[in-house]
Amino acid sequence: MRLVRSAMVGAVVRREAREIIRNRLLVSSIILPPVLLTASPILLIALGSHAAPLLPADQMAQLVARHPSWAGLDGREVVMAFAISQFLATFLILPAYIPLAIASYSIVGEKQTRSLEAVLSTPLRTSELLAGKAIAALVPGVLASWLAYATLLLLTAVLVAPELVPVITDGSWLAGVLALGPAIGLISVEAGIIVSSRVNDPRVAQQIGGIVILPIVALIVLQGAGGFLVDGPTYLAGAAVLLLIAVGGLRLAVTLFGRETILTRWR
Amino acid sequence: MTESVAVRAVGLGRRFGSQWALRGVDLELARGEVFGLLGPNGAGKTTTVRLLSALIAPTEGRASIDGFDVVADADEVRARIGVLTETPGLYERLTAVQNLEFFGRLHGLTPAVRQERMERLLRLFDLWDRRDGLVGAFSKGMKQKLAIARALLHEPSVLFLDEPTAALDPEAAFVVREAIAALKGQGRTIVLCTHNLDEAERLCDRIGFLRGTLLRLDSPARLRGLGGRAVLEVELATALPVDVVERLRGRPEVQGVEVAGPLLDVSLGDIQRDTPGVVRALVEGGAALLGVRARTASLEEVYFEVMGARPPSDGGPP
Repeated sequence: MRLVRSAMVGAVVRREAREIIRNRLLVSSIILPPVLLTASPILLIALGSHAAPLLPADQMAQLVARHPSWAGLDGREVVMAFAISQFLATFLILPAYIPLAIASYSIVGEKQTRSLEAVLSTPLRTSELLAGKAIAALVPGVLASWLAYATLLLLTAVLVAPELVPVITDGSWLAGVLALGPAIGLISVEAGIIVSSRVNDPRVAQQIGGIVILPIVALIVLQGAGGFLVDGPTYLAGAAVLLLIAVGGLRLAVTLFGRETILTRWR
Repeated sequence: MTESVAVRAVGLGRRFGSQWALRGVDLELARGEVFGLLGPNGAGKTTTVRLLSALIAPTEGRASIDGFDVVADADEVRARIGVLTETPGLYERLTAVQNLEFFGRLHGLTPAVRQERMERLLRLFDLWDRRDGLVGAFSKGMKQKLAIARALLHEPSVLFLDEPTAALDPEAAFVVREAIAALKGQGRTIVLCTHNLDEAERLCDRIGFLRGTLLRLDSPARLRGLGGRAVLEVELATALPVDVVERLRGRPEVQGVEVAGPLLDVSLGDIQRDTPGVVRALVEGGAALLGVRARTASLEEVYFEVMGARPPSDGGPP
């Protein structure tokens, strides 16, 4: 017997999507962060490309040594490359933040309207319900971050600083945005589901679920501070590890999201 | 295989922590039967429905729907039941059609079947004109009707309806009652949880009084005849000879005789079964009968008697 049936998951995804579209708060949570995320580095490049202070020669040499691909850039461009590379962190946080918000609202919302009992009395399985909710929450976050990244790339290449395009298309950016970000998003959704099944306020669910983002932030801060350099293959390995953790997380979520718990303890 | 028993429970019980919510429930409902489950709040009605609809597992005993065990064959059970929950539990940011469409998909209905049934049910419950309106803007009654339509969408063989007319105006309640009668005619088994005794009496073939366990289960007519409250009122042209009264008192089915001039009250165990024999005995004894009328207890009286509680007396403080 299959764990999940695609038609069932599809029905849940479709309904969730319809509800998300009609929830202004969620829609703004999906739209605003990517806009800010795209605008910030563009503004930084546009404003800083002529005014960025130059670094001392030894520090410049250190940066270029750590990033050989920056060797062809002049002094200001190296400074801008360093500055813009810090934004990778936000592209990893975005696919975690948006799904967490959606998943929390989705589950707590069902608690509040008591709509789950009717759903659970259909042949839909818990794993299918959770898979549908996870996909409906994850996809907008991932698409929003990819769209923001594509926009950043396009504006940088066409309008602002074509010479910085290689900086934001190196292995760490591509692996981070395309693989690690979605993997973090998946973990985030699971955290949202698990926490939401225990609380009655979506904001509390987001705050507690947001703890999963903290290690990522710490990682990026350390990298930005020059503590170590994470390259593309490392990001890919990280994504693989997170996906493995996500499998265990899904099992935990299914266990915690038991039908009986929902019906007899949710208030 | 078509089983004649649609719902079966044997020694069904459920404990939450150390507290038994329900225990020792034995039940067999025939296909096409409308069964009323009556009891005060907290009596275990919702727990019974949840156990029978495979939503929660029994602590003891077993139950089946159409021969499918509620634990071992939970998916099969859920495919065969329709549930109207205590609260409508609709998706308020979706339209009426979108709500139904979602549940139609979960039950595997094809688009054509879904469309046809959605239209039929929305028209039946007078919601067709509001089909594209957001449910959040619906009145309580409209939501209740939509929730009933949702429970009927996949044409389940067993329906669990929790207070189906509670939030409805008289017109809508009439439509729902008519729909229940029509469903019974289609051979669907209906479990109706209600506090409305009149509704239960009108709709149900049998009624079960529940309070932690099934205290009494019978047809409304037989329930009304319980507890010595079924009385045959006889109006006589002349007073009855004493020996006839004594012979009447000696009959096994007669529980008591009261004489007041030309009026005679005969208490019977089963009014339908026992009336012909009593009337025959009176006529053979020379009684000149002007009229005979069965007077049974109201279901409300029986309810309070079975539940061991009495309603507040008339004339008390409001």
